[in-house]
Amino acid sequence: MAGAVSGAVRSDLGEVFRRDYPQVVAVAARVLGSRDEAEDVAQEVFMAFGRSTVPAAEAPGWLSVAAVHTALNLIRSGRRRASREETVHRLGDVVTPDVAEAVLTREDRSRVRAALGGLPRKQAVALVLRHSGLSYAEVATALDMSPGSVGTTVRRAESALRKELTRHASSD
Amino acid sequence: MRHPTEGTLRRLLDEPAGVPDPDRAHVAGCPQCLATLAATRRDADLVGAALATEGSPDVDAGWRRLTAALPAAAPAARPERVRPSRSRGFLRRPAAAVLAFGVVLAGAGTAAANDWLQVFRTEEIAPLSLTTNDLVALPDLSAYGDVELTGDPDVHEVPDAATAAEESGLDVPEVATLPRGVTGEPMISVGGQLSATFTYSADRAAQAAAAAGEVLPPPPPGLDGSSVRLVAGPGVAQVWSSESGLPALVVGRAVAPSAYSSGVPFETVRDHLLSLPGLPDDVAAQLRTFTADGSTLPLPVPAELATTSTAEVDGEEATVLTGNDGAMAAVVWVSDGVVTAVAGSLDTDELLSVARDLR
Repeated sequence: MAGAVSGAVRSDLGEVFRRDYPQVVAVAARVLGSRDEAEDVAQEVFMAFGRSTVPAAEAPGWLSVAAVHTALNLIRSGRRRASREETVHRLGDVVTPDVAEAVLTREDRSRVRAALGGLPRKQAVALVLRHSGLSYAEVATALDMSPGSVGTTVRRAESALRKELTRHASSD
Repeated sequence: MRHPTEGTLRRLLDEPAGVPDPDRAHVAGCPQCLATLAATRRDADLVGAALATEGSPDVDAGWRRLTAALPAAAPAARPERVRPSRSRGFLRRPAAAVLAFGVVLAGAGTAAANDWLQVFRTEEIAPLSLTTNDLVALPDLSAYGDVELTGDPDVHEVPDAATAAEESGLDVPEVATLPRGVTGEPMISVGGQLSATFTYSADRAAQAAAAAGEVLPPPPPGLDGSSVRLVAGPGVAQVWSSESGLPALVVGRAVAPSAYSSGVPFETVRDHLLSLPGLPDDVAAQLRTFTADGSTLPLPVPAELATTSTAEVDGEEATVLTGNDGAMAAVVWVSDGVVTAVAGSLDTDELLSVARDLR
């Protein structure tokens, strides 16, 4: 990972960990749908951060980006925890009050996450970061793109994922 | 004017202030753009809902896990609340208490990564299947008496194996041949002896049981006020890092933990603890099979995390743990009161080869 050096652990690790751990777990959980796996990813990310020289002010963005990439890598490597299904099962079907008549089944959510793993990396990262609350400027900085093109990238990703859902809905 | 792009419409949903005024004015009066905007909003909401997650993680638990996996973590980065002297509330439940002794020992310098914190045990290594739900369902041990961790592990890095041997009094294992992909010099850490004491209180136990609407099984004579003290360490860990910062190979050795009791035999205390209301029957039954004369503690390996098997290392039976995600594996064995572990992101054959060739 960029900025990683071997050797001593940075002295502000505890402070940054307490501040940013929930956000890093939340970012990874959006990709993985599993809290346990998301916490594994967060551990790996903070491990790398602890040995890095990333300036503290840039830590939140760096950590979020690292969390998305690590989580996406986990999906692609196929090395996922055996408990995944159980975890997803515990979450159950979620009725989302914000979306009119949208009842997302467990299968729907699994499908969206599977499709997320198949998107171009830039789209997937931009999408997850945006839905994790990062501003367009922050996403742009993280991905080295212009703020104006973030909207286009996120829109493409959302459109692709929605098509994935609709495709299955119509074939049921 | 031209219609704004879909990207601009998308941003309008999240950050209207980031969209130029002329574009906003156009959209407000353009049925085609308003229709596109509505479709964009539907997709965004749908995807947002599909990716939504609930709850927030336990930051303290996460921090403990991280610091245990970073044997040379800078002392300044370790918050006061995880230091042993403050850890009265740290050991909450019977199984978690067992787990914690593993963590204590790991903190004493035999740490491996992540899921391997709890691999170190004493004269015998016996795997125990516990699911996460069992752990969550167990009662709070502090309701039944006082739990106190004593001693400071003072885990610190040392420059070389000779210093580690001198400080710990242990033979520091030497890896004959590093496995493929593992290079460089290890980071060597040493930790001192740690102990923890649980003092049983019959009054408190009865109160806790009553509060739960249960009847406390009658405590054996002499149990009230008696203590169990578990001691672990010192230990030495050698860690070869990979580029990701995760350990590629960990070789740890420590004086195996032992238990001492005052007043009543350790088995009596253990069996009574196991009979406390709230402990799942099957877990209790498994725990009872351990021949704990102070020389054996169970090894809680959550079934969904790892599978266990056995192999022989230097004439001793070793426990082989393989992470279900395939990312990590470990080999652990005990010889003459000293526990040795070899763990890493390697396959089992490679780890066994390292273990058998230790000098």
